[in-house]
Amino acid sequence: MVSAAGEHLITYFQAIVIGLLQGVTELFPISSLGHAVILPKLLGWNLNQKEPYFLAFLVATHLATAIVLFLFFLPEWLRILRGLGRSIRDRQIALADPDARLAWLLVVGTIPAGLIGLLFEHPLRSLFSNPTAAAAFLLVNGLILFAAEFLRRRAPGAAERARDLELHPDSATSPEAEKRLATVGFREAVGVGTAQAAALFPGISRAGVTIGGGLFVGLTHEDAARYAFLLATPIIGAAALLKLPDLFGQDGNGVRGQALVGALCAGAAAWAAVRFLMRYFETNRLTPFAIYCLFAGLTALLVFVI
Amino acid sequence: MRNDRLLAVLATLAGVALIVIGVVYLALNEHDIPSFFPGHNSHPSAHHHVKHGIAAILLGLACFAFAWFRTGPRETRTAPRS
Repeated sequence: MVSAAGEHLITYFQAIVIGLLQGVTELFPISSLGHAVILPKLLGWNLNQKEPYFLAFLVATHLATAIVLFLFFLPEWLRILRGLGRSIRDRQIALADPDARLAWLLVVGTIPAGLIGLLFEHPLRSLFSNPTAAAAFLLVNGLILFAAEFLRRRAPGAAERARDLELHPDSATSPEAEKRLATVGFREAVGVGTAQAAALFPGISRAGVTIGGGLFVGLTHEDAARYAFLLATPIIGAAALLKLPDLFGQDGNGVRGQALVGALCAGAAAWAAVRFLMRYFETNRLTPFAIYCLFAGLTALLVFVI
Repeated sequence: MRNDRLLAVLATLAGVALIVIGVVYLALNEHDIPSFFPGHNSHPSAHHHVKHGIAAILLGLACFAFAWFRTGPRETRTAPRS
């Protein structure tokens, strides 16, 4: 299907670029929504981010990202789901059962962000989904990442967890990592989960605020990234599933083929991104992403304002 | 112990109420839902507040989960399983 002007709503080339961009930026702490708003404008593409066809297209790329995240952490998810079942059966979240505890930490972390997203996603998107606002929020995202790196040194339990990881380097892989994640308190889990809602502002990264939140409550970079990706999976997947009817309804007319291509690209990019990031955070920090966000946000802001 | 039971009963009642509210949001359009519900529209409309409904049901389930664990056996503090 084509627009009234005789052009495709989204070309296949654009679908590939946006899909790759979505897959990478959803998991890198640099805001996928911000980049999806800023980059088409910088490239001079005539895509209206608020139009139903574009939102229907994005549903497919988000769903692909969520599926990839779920598959990447499949062994963890299976343990977590078994732990969830055990805790419901036993009517207690035992300290001795890190899988069950982690399951409920993810549940209590997901509920506030899910509720805020359900109720405020549309008005916030309508209000701030413009390139200038996204560039400004990208700048803010850079400051948040810097702040997280600065504050993590004062986090409770950070030194103990880092020492534990240093003494047992093989414990970086789950289920040892899950034991460390399960030591996070429920109050902290609600805080980190609620912080996800900041990603409703285009330019603020979900991964950035949750990894930052994890550092703030004393997790190591690697554990914080693992927790952020586990926390992101249900909410990205649920949001995409909720809007999936749009893709198969009238809004998806003319973009379904492009959505499929975009989703495949997003899935491949997301797999590469999560693989890279889990290794990167073994030894590295958020600082390069903070610098990138400050630079990109400032540059985009100057381009749009001048 | 009495406080636990009271909290569990209150959470169960809140859970039932929230799920009923959720079902009302899903079943009725914004014109037909009670006027004191957020999102009520006095003009005829076929729009359903699906997101409000899902949010209410999620909160209701959270209340049930709280009540379920509140009335469960007390946690024993043992070392984490290896």
